[in-house]
Amino acid sequence: MTWLRLAGVAVLGLAWFLLLPDYRTLGITLMLLAGWATAWDLLGGWSGQTSLGHAAFVGLGAYTIGITADRWDLAPWWGALLAMALAAVMALLWGKLTFRLRAAYFVLSTIAVAEILRLVAINQRGLTGGAIGLFIFDLERPFGLDLFSRTVEFWFALGYLVLVLAVAALLTRGRLGYQMRAVREDEPSAQAAGINPEAVKLWAFAISAALTALGGCLYGIVLSALQPQPLFELHLSVRIALVAIIGGRGTLFGPLVGATLLTVAAELFRNVFAEANLLIYGALIVVVVLFAPHGLVGELDRRLVRRRYARSARG
Amino acid sequence: MDGLVPLLQNVTGGLLIGGIYALIGVGLTLIFGVMRVINFAHGDFVAIGMYLAIALFRDLGFDPYLSLAIALPGGVIAGWVVQRVVLARLVDSPGDSTLLATLGLSLVIANALFLTFGAEPASIYVPYATATVDVGGVRLPVAQLIAGAITLAVIAALWLFLNRTELGRAVRATAQNRLGAELVGVNTRRVHALVFGVGMALAMCAGVILAPLLFAIPTVGSSYTLKAFVVTVLGGLGSVPAAIGGGLLLGVVEFLGASYLSSGYRDAYGLFAFLLVLLFRPQGLFGRETKRV
Repeated sequence: MTWLRLAGVAVLGLAWFLLLPDYRTLGITLMLLAGWATAWDLLGGWSGQTSLGHAAFVGLGAYTIGITADRWDLAPWWGALLAMALAAVMALLWGKLTFRLRAAYFVLSTIAVAEILRLVAINQRGLTGGAIGLFIFDLERPFGLDLFSRTVEFWFALGYLVLVLAVAALLTRGRLGYQMRAVREDEPSAQAAGINPEAVKLWAFAISAALTALGGCLYGIVLSALQPQPLFELHLSVRIALVAIIGGRGTLFGPLVGATLLTVAAELFRNVFAEANLLIYGALIVVVVLFAPHGLVGELDRRLVRRRYARSARG
Repeated sequence: MDGLVPLLQNVTGGLLIGGIYALIGVGLTLIFGVMRVINFAHGDFVAIGMYLAIALFRDLGFDPYLSLAIALPGGVIAGWVVQRVVLARLVDSPGDSTLLATLGLSLVIANALFLTFGAEPASIYVPYATATVDVGGVRLPVAQLIAGAITLAVIAALWLFLNRTELGRAVRATAQNRLGAELVGVNTRRVHALVFGVGMALAMCAGVILAPLLFAIPTVGSSYTLKAFVVTVLGGLGSVPAAIGGGLLLGVVEFLGASYLSSGYRDAYGLFAFLLVLLFRPQGLFGRETKRV
């Protein structure tokens, strides 16, 4: 069933490409945001560690591609692998340092770490070009595909989204997925059952970070002008987290639903709100927290389960 | 002697700005201590204060410090309403729901300010505020001195309120033990609403006195939220005197760090200190194990 839905996502992507040729850039941003949110959800939803610092990995991915292509003429696929490895290592160190903190303190620490990384990106001019940024001029072509054409980028973004969803589906059904949920629900009990909570959270963080960085690489290519401002900013971290939470934490398709809803809403109200489209995020998260604490897909799931249970009890 | 005057200059400048950070941090720590809510919209309340002063100055010619008369009661009422409409419904809900709700409020406020006032920086120009006073070679801007005086007065008033009134006692009781306070007849729901109102009023007051000092942009709030977190965690979340100490410390650290190390990392020093304290001394630099207000 899950794999069928996953195929459905791919078909919808294809339909978007064919039916909405004018909105391909919007589709790319939508799919990247959905991919990031799904990757975020591995840590934030399935493992219960809310992070407001994931933009750091997006920035890391984009800058790794930019710097390696610019300095060492490294092919983008090697750059992407390097970025994922760097992100995983960074997440391990970061988690090792901050996973002892609980609840709100952990959230605050993720903001602090991400902000420090942003300030480093602004101030290490030699490496990142500082506030002016870095430009990606040309990249080696995988299979002769021009990475700067929107069509190619669209397919890569769709591929990225499906990949992240597939990884999340596999992970959450496997051993690690159950351990992640156990740690989220009750750490001491999980420990009593022989689970090492820190190791589980570190795995979740590393995988989440690597997948986010991969999306960051794509985003860097799409932007081709890299600046610390949009890439490392708290706002991007907040968007990634809110999209997943509004859609439904700890559900496979929740983050995708959230990303679709918010991207489309922002596009529809673009004339009204201009650059103030985070207003919609703010209003929606308040509504979700008050009336649908499990997120849209989460509430739907619960309702379906309840109905199925009622039917089986009756029948 | 050559190095002494600039050093004093930096320290006094840091202390005066730190006083404003303290004012912001005190509200945050009060809200956390009493309600156990991490208020992500706190910096945006500061931004509301700034824009209130700017709007009153521009449209009605109010002196910026006169708008305190509107900001303080207005803040209490607005905070009360926000608490009643949003946060009161989440009192016993699990996890990070109040954190997310205030994060949402923060986005709504910042973007509403953006829609109303536009993105370009706004400021207040009053001639007397840009003058400086010379004390033994140390130049002190008048606006910063006024800010320091108001901060002192407000914090003294808050101290009197918390320690010398019956209502203040109810607030402290609620912070120590909500159930216990309820058992001796404190209406803790009302206390929660009042505390959120007071916290918002303090933040808006800080915004008003910041308005003549620097430019306001609609997104300025998030940086003050971060500073407020740094301030309160430095001192120990939940303690008012510790937040004041943390605020003064952050102000001085920022000034000294910016002038003797590297100004580009000005905001990073506070964050580094924040992370270190969070990791190695989570009860804060001046904190004891028990939480008090």
